Amino acid sequence: MRTVLVMLLVGALVAGCFGEGGITVAPPKGSGGGSAAPGTAPSKAPASKSAPSGNTLRLLGDDPPTIDPALVQDATSSEYIVEIFSGLFTLNDKLEVVPDIAESYDVSPDGLVYTFKLRKDVKFQDGRGVTAQDFKYSMERAADPRTESLVADTYLGDIVGVKDKLRGKAKEISGIKVVDDYTLQITIDSPKVYFLSKLTYPTAFVVDKNNVEKGGRRWTNQPNGTGPFKLKEWKRGESITLVRNDNFYGGAPKVDQVVYNIAIAGAGTGMTMYENGDIDMVGVGLADIDRVQDPASELNSQLVRAPSLSIGYVGLNALVPPFDDVKMRQAFAAAIDKQKIVDVVLKGTVQKADGIVPPGMPEYQNKNLKPIAFDPQRAKQLLAESRYADPSSYPPLTFYVSGEGGASPRTVTAIVEMIKQNLGIDIKIQQTEWATFLQDLSTDQKKYPMFSLGWVADYPDPQNFLDVLFHSNSLDNHTGYSNKEVDALLEQARTEKDQAKRMDLYYQAEQKIVGEAGWIPLDYGESYILVKPYLKNVRFSLGVSPWLRFVSIEGAR
Amino acid sequence: MLVYAVRRLFWLPFLLLAVAFITFALGQYGPGDPVQVAMGQHVNPEVRDRVRHEMGLDRPFYEQFASYVWNALHGDLGVSYKYRGEPVFGLIGNRVAVSAQLAFLALLLAVALGIPLGIVASLHQRTWMDYLSISISLGGVSMPAFLLAPILMWFFAQQLKVLPAAGWGGIFSPQAVMPAIVMGVGPVAVLARQTRASLIEVLGQDYVRTARSKGLLEQTVLLHHVLRNGLIPIFTLIGLMLGSLVEGAFITETVFGIPGIGRLAVESLFARDYPVIMALTLMVAVSYTVANLMVDLSYGLLDPRIRYR
Repeated sequence: MRTVLVMLLVGALVAGCFGEGGITVAPPKGSGGGSAAPGTAPSKAPASKSAPSGNTLRLLGDDPPTIDPALVQDATSSEYIVEIFSGLFTLNDKLEVVPDIAESYDVSPDGLVYTFKLRKDVKFQDGRGVTAQDFKYSMERAADPRTESLVADTYLGDIVGVKDKLRGKAKEISGIKVVDDYTLQITIDSPKVYFLSKLTYPTAFVVDKNNVEKGGRRWTNQPNGTGPFKLKEWKRGESITLVRNDNFYGGAPKVDQVVYNIAIAGAGTGMTMYENGDIDMVGVGLADIDRVQDPASELNSQLVRAPSLSIGYVGLNALVPPFDDVKMRQAFAAAIDKQKIVDVVLKGTVQKADGIVPPGMPEYQNKNLKPIAFDPQRAKQLLAESRYADPSSYPPLTFYVSGEGGASPRTVTAIVEMIKQNLGIDIKIQQTEWATFLQDLSTDQKKYPMFSLGWVADYPDPQNFLDVLFHSNSLDNHTGYSNKEVDALLEQARTEKDQAKRMDLYYQAEQKIVGEAGWIPLDYGESYILVKPYLKNVRFSLGVSPWLRFVSIEGAR
Repeated sequence: MLVYAVRRLFWLPFLLLAVAFITFALGQYGPGDPVQVAMGQHVNPEVRDRVRHEMGLDRPFYEQFASYVWNALHGDLGVSYKYRGEPVFGLIGNRVAVSAQLAFLALLLAVALGIPLGIVASLHQRTWMDYLSISISLGGVSMPAFLLAPILMWFFAQQLKVLPAAGWGGIFSPQAVMPAIVMGVGPVAVLARQTRASLIEVLGQDYVRTARSKGLLEQTVLLHHVLRNGLIPIFTLIGLMLGSLVEGAFITETVFGIPGIGRLAVESLFARDYPVIMALTLMVAVSYTVANLMVDLSYGLLDPRIRYR
């Protein structure tokens, strides 16, 4: 998953070819659509023309692979879905789990049975009221093998009976019970505090049975959701238009509509469009960063820094030589000057990562974390103490990177240089196209001894980083890192109800992982976004959360 | 001629079958899997295999291929893997129209500028006009789209603000200007150079000297003797260009954010969206074949000595 902001960044990355130039805010446009909403026929007015003037938010977007909540597995799609649909819980801009359609809930003493009271004023966009039965239907549909969801197991798999349903062995999900129209009871397989945060993911959202069954596979072209916006038009490859849902139970949005320009995703023209006043927000790429950070630039005051729950790291494969020796991993970690990479290569646009869990994680602050510091002397010593001091004792090292460009990312070349310089080890760089990279990663755990990768939170809980990526039995553990003590801590944290104690267990696990160089964490993700001064209440969150309904347009464009 | 055309078209289905087979096999046996791409870094063999089964991806190769061909013959090109459940036909339909418009514009530009440039150059060999037109051609042919596009954008969109930086509003919209130039500039150069070379050759032929010595008007000589013969290879070239324009659109469409097939093709490759890749490959094969046929047929109109057998 990626974040809301990464999406805005799409297209900004190659926009650096443009020179200096102040902002030129266009005069207020009648439609607000402007050239941001190209229509197919030039004689036909853009769709946005029909809207009341001046109250259209114009954004850049990307074509979502799907807007079916049951299918979504990427941030691009989630961005749209959280505005059109909604579920029992949602995330606020601090990524805290807050009730949405669920009014209140309680958990049985053994932590297994959740009873949700639903709001009575929630309606689908066609006016029909939402009941507990709709939730049961929606989750059973998501877990139906014919729905072909790749994420139902991840987000709903804790619910008793979901796995049977997914395997085609059950008609219903035994763990979901409709008590009455506004009471829903869900039983999970073992106590898991992070279960609620999984319910914020679209897979658990409510959909309208009628809508789904009538529309067939393409029902999402006219979705009947419960969210703050309705999908008015989706021209694939061109634009997506959302209009305000006046009946939204959480209060109607402030803007009349939101037009996403999809056509120029990846085109690198976002900055020009922003400066020409054709769009209201844009992500800034590395190439433009110096220019917009210059205090003399008019753009500087419109710049917003938005961190995300993501991390970039170097994976060292503990299953193969030489990294099956912890000393060798530690030597590599001590030989890399991360601060220099962040300052020089990444121009200070991101934050150096010492730990695994990004700093924005709610309620998580591992203040006493001791990272492996950059120390070439210590690195050499660790190398000498390891089983692999002699380079001929292991096969030549290859550093795998995903990508298609041919040129390796500069962070990777910097790391290879530092290892050569501080440890005297030669490393070959191998760039592999993303689909192939994923296949190798998922089918042969021993294939990549060393690789560069990132991780973005699926849901805001440290469990999604530490347990999912480092538990010995986790399928998503790509480095083969395994430590019984860490496993024990992680298992304990799964069921610990006291939040402070739970976090403390994670702090301990994180310290062990970092100390044993399970990964070499590099940097925490951060985005730079330009926001026009007339936009108010733009709430940047660290992940995907509904935000459009808060935005208002005030003053002249 | 009709018999000839029919006979040529008779081979088309076999050609398409061969192209389909090769593309399908590459997709099957090449690395990467559409379901894993969709799952990203998440590893869950049970889920992956279940969804692959639902999508029919676990069936034997020949069975999948046969069912693809069978469905395609019934007008069903399948559904996209990336845009879940979206029929391929709907996905590429609009985009083909957009790309075709763009290719047409670029070709129009190439013909309208390239041929006259070439004629001028050939008639004024080794004068400044010749050198100028060669320079323009050389410049055009060596200017890659990814360089020319940002330059044009910077100049027309950022500095002069006369053209929108990106997007698409149809063939008559201002958005079409820059991409047409970017795509047309290479073909202009190629056509100009080819026209020049071809005409120079014809100008040295005996029958041109004979025509002139008969006292024919220079215009008549040019029109009836030189151009008519000299342009035959040019038509071949235009036909071949039409096919390559579709591919050339890949970069241009991406840079200018034009919702054509170029971008879709690139996206589909990375997502291993085989049904879309198949459809696009077959389409390019058809357009090459038809363009070639039209070129061959046009020879007969240009040169009565050419007979079809």
